[in-house]
Amino acid sequence: MEIKFVLNHKQVAIDVNPSMRLLDVLRDVCHLTGTKEGCGEGECGACTVLVNDEPVNSCLMPIINVFGKEVITIEGFRETKAYKVISSAFADMGGSQCGFCTPGMILASYAVLRKNPHPTDEEIRIALSGNLCRCTGYQAIVNAVKLASEKGVKL
Amino acid sequence: MIHYFVPSSLKEALKILNENDCYIFAGGTDLMVQKHLSSGLLPNFDKDVLFIMKINELNYIEKDNEGNIHIGATTRYNEIEASSLIPEIYKTVIKEIASPNIRNMATLAGNIGNASPAGDSLLPLILNDAEVVLSSIDGERIIKVQDFILGVKKLDRKQNEIIKEIVIKPQELDYFYRKVGSRKAESITKVSFLGGYKIEKNRLVDFRVAFGSVSTKVVRNQEVENKYINKELKDIDIDSVVNDYTNLVTPITDQRSNKEYRHKVAMNLLKKFLKEIKGGRDE
Repeated sequence: MEIKFVLNHKQVAIDVNPSMRLLDVLRDVCHLTGTKEGCGEGECGACTVLVNDEPVNSCLMPIINVFGKEVITIEGFRETKAYKVISSAFADMGGSQCGFCTPGMILASYAVLRKNPHPTDEEIRIALSGNLCRCTGYQAIVNAVKLASEKGVKL
Repeated sequence: MIHYFVPSSLKEALKILNENDCYIFAGGTDLMVQKHLSSGLLPNFDKDVLFIMKINELNYIEKDNEGNIHIGATTRYNEIEASSLIPEIYKTVIKEIASPNIRNMATLAGNIGNASPAGDSLLPLILNDAEVVLSSIDGERIIKVQDFILGVKKLDRKQNEIIKEIVIKPQELDYFYRKVGSRKAESITKVSFLGGYKIEKNRLVDFRVAFGSVSTKVVRNQEVENKYINKELKDIDIDSVVNDYTNLVTPITDQRSNKEYRHKVAMNLLKKFLKEIKGGRDE
């Protein structure tokens, strides 16, 4: 079945089984390997992408559910000004160590800042509660989101 | 050969359901876990699949003339959380379900259809006598969520029926909700408790209790509730209420918890709720 959607600002039509995971379409069909697979069951958030600007676990989303929607992966987000602000805040605050959770963390951080440009620590922690990090202990990530908030994430 | 159906109208979906035995697939956040094999492989469906998220006419939250709120089957949790029409108790419960990322995909109708004893949204639905509207090619019928769910993964649903919408009533009670899990986000409930009550002139004019994850379905017993409705607060004996519920709460031991712990915690939450009703400060 031909699935039409917008991927990183480009209209695409991909002929795959409608039940195929968005994650597998991104990595195996589109060769966008910035989106990571951790647990494969929606617990870890490493596979987070934006669908219509909302963060979702691409391991739980069948490709049919993005039909007609806009998908942004870390590769597409990398082209934005917001990415520069958030990624440099992660670098400055030590919010990334092994890096496996980072693409998902960055997209989830963007999603919270887009809705709420000046979130509290608690609001950041809730917004990132679906993204696990085994290196940083989270405080460095919360600090990074706060720094990005101070610098202002231009949409 | 598995068929995958992607209708864009309810009418089309009902016709497909009438002719095929299908998994009804909405947000998919449970089905994609249950049917997952391995990365790179398709989910392992053993019968046909009906994807419904493209049916735009089922995505709505509306209030009718009587003040009841209708939630369409493809409406996701994040939309419910954001709606001013939704009573606060539902929002309180939904905010503790899974994670924001999953709530951007998962639907309330899906949580009902999945019929898990650990389904968190089922507590406020059952406590407040919410109903589901089932639609089929033969017409519609309305059934209480409490009666619709028969047990673990068991529904009073005919093969050709689909949940069209959920009907919830406006909030009139005070609530006490606790979810017990291993961590704050993304935890599958070990025990959950929702109590609802209304006090007028030191008299308990409404009293409802629901327990999650402690039986094959959410435990609510109107017979026990009726024993205490219209009693003076000072005549409510905590031990006697606990005694009424102790045999109704029949948890099992599984990978998340054990039956002794679940029973103990369920009873402790009931006590805490009753103390709050009676005006005692809890510890």
